Amino acid sequence: MHRIYLHPLPVRIWHWINAAVCVTLLLTGVQLRYVGLIDVVSFRTAVSIHNWTGLALIANFFLWLGYYLGSPRIRTYHAEPNPVKYFQGSLSQLVYYSFGIFKRAPEPFHPAVNSKFNPLQAMTYQILMLLIIPVQAITGLMLWNLLGFSKAVAFFGGVRVIDTVHVLIFIFFAFYIPAHFYLGTLGRKPITHFREMFTGYEEAEPAEPPPRSSGVGPAE
Amino acid sequence: MGLVARAAAAVVVLALASMLAPASAVAQGDQQCLACHATPGLEKTLADGDTLSLHIDGDHFAPSVHAALGCTGCHADINPTSHPPAENPIASKRAFATNTVPLCATCHAAESGQWGQSVHAALVRDGNPNAPICTGCHSPHTMLKGEAASIETVPCKTCHAAIFTAYDTSMHGVARRHGLTASPLCADCHGAHDVSVPSAGVGRKEVCLGCHTEALDTHRAWLPNVDLHFGVVSCPVCHTPRARRMVNLILYNSATDQQISRPAGIPEFENLSSAATATTSGLAPAALMTLLRALNHQGADGQTIIRGRLEVRTGVEDHQLALASQAIGDCATCHRKGAAAFESVSVSVAGPAGIPIRYDADKAVLNSVFSIDSVSGFYAIGGTRVTLLDGLLLLALLGGIAWPLAHLTVRWLAGRYLDLTTPHHLH
Repeated sequence: MHRIYLHPLPVRIWHWINAAVCVTLLLTGVQLRYVGLIDVVSFRTAVSIHNWTGLALIANFFLWLGYYLGSPRIRTYHAEPNPVKYFQGSLSQLVYYSFGIFKRAPEPFHPAVNSKFNPLQAMTYQILMLLIIPVQAITGLMLWNLLGFSKAVAFFGGVRVIDTVHVLIFIFFAFYIPAHFYLGTLGRKPITHFREMFTGYEEAEPAEPPPRSSGVGPAE
Repeated sequence: MGLVARAAAAVVVLALASMLAPASAVAQGDQQCLACHATPGLEKTLADGDTLSLHIDGDHFAPSVHAALGCTGCHADINPTSHPPAENPIASKRAFATNTVPLCATCHAAESGQWGQSVHAALVRDGNPNAPICTGCHSPHTMLKGEAASIETVPCKTCHAAIFTAYDTSMHGVARRHGLTASPLCADCHGAHDVSVPSAGVGRKEVCLGCHTEALDTHRAWLPNVDLHFGVVSCPVCHTPRARRMVNLILYNSATDQQISRPAGIPEFENLSSAATATTSGLAPAALMTLLRALNHQGADGQTIIRGRLEVRTGVEDHQLALASQAIGDCATCHRKGAAAFESVSVSVAGPAGIPIRYDADKAVLNSVFSIDSVSGFYAIGGTRVTLLDGLLLLALLGGIAWPLAHLTVRWLAGRYLDLTTPHHLH
């Protein structure tokens, strides 16, 4: 068993802020959309929390972006240039989750310092961070100040279009967050990946060959 | 009757009048007129068979604002030596009153000009026989100074009786009756002569803010998105707690930024009945979408777009304003599914004289997936959410929970029945 420093401090800070912010946005979003279903705080307070948390999400996004743009670890997000290799890797990972994991088959991907995501993760997180989060942030900003962004709102088709996109992404997260949490339990022990996101170190056992460990974990 | 005989009769009447005429304050010259016109019941039969009263009460005329002008100030066309003329046909009371408008304008040019731009004048031009002209509101022979600004004698209530009754019991009316002259009367909000259509466009928000200058700031202290609320929600929606609310979807032209008039030759419009006569649930979401598409295929400049506003349903309810402490301040009143405000929906265009024509719409237009584009300009979080997305959210949430549970279950079963007690990586 050896340890790899996979998750530097800025990434861990970003990750846990992101987790708290996303859950808060989801809960307040549910309260705003479904008044009467969840009334933990007043509607007005929920609006205020949702707005400020949304701004925190945006600030946190730039923490993530700034860190990776200035770090060689950005290579972990680089796409596999060979599409055949990329899809083979993705397929292997998918087959592992669908069948291999039940038979305790060896994991097809082993993370390294600058390559911590398996192909499925790399694709998912790139879509998430470079498309879904920015779109959600932009639509959220527009809904936060519809008059201020009235021209942009009109350009994109009006407030209902903006809101529908915002809600569709909210729906995506309603699926993604429980699934993401579950995938986080697929480490050596259910708590392993969560602990790694606090310590920064992935606990990897020597594998045959090369000596790598689990590549399935929460988004970072 | 010959001319000499008529003149002799007039002299006799004048002599009697000098003894009988009660209006001692009336100028000497006017007493000659009142000699006849003070006679109760004096009237003229008109061409349409109606009768026009010619009676002038000297006691009322004397203190009136026009007494200083004297009779000939307005009736300069009358020749005392030939009055009454043998023939002076008048078609109707309305025709007689209409003919006085230019006469009033000789002194009241500014007011007349304002009136000419008003909805009242537009209705006159549109042929409405009840639309008010000068004498409809102001009785020229009895009018007192300040009469139109008194809650007791304000002329608007003659036609707008129900609205005035609502006003009278509102916080504005009650304050006015208690002597607070700063509390507005009709003309303070609607203008005296330049009366516009209060239900057109963005309504009377600027009028309210004209007095309630602090309103924007006091609302900003607690109301999220204040400017948006002020633009989309009419003041009475929250400040008349007992009123019924509705959504008014106004058809605008994006190029002119004006409410469009009822277009001709659009089948979707031809089939519509106005809100007042509608018997069905109104325009369905798909029909509204088709209607907009039809309007936008006319080749006109700009697109026809919908801007929604939350309003109260009637002018009467608009005037039932309550104290600020009684205003609705609970966001959930509107921002929840099934809110009463979204139970009534109309689509409106500009009608004759700029008065909106409203067509009933099915309330489903606020929640339908078909309305994402067509009703793109109106949305209230929670209240008008798209129902289809609720189903999608439920599916996503169930999927997000069910998939891990199913996967976990299969892992557990595999571990139990496939005899894989030792993980592969520990081999």
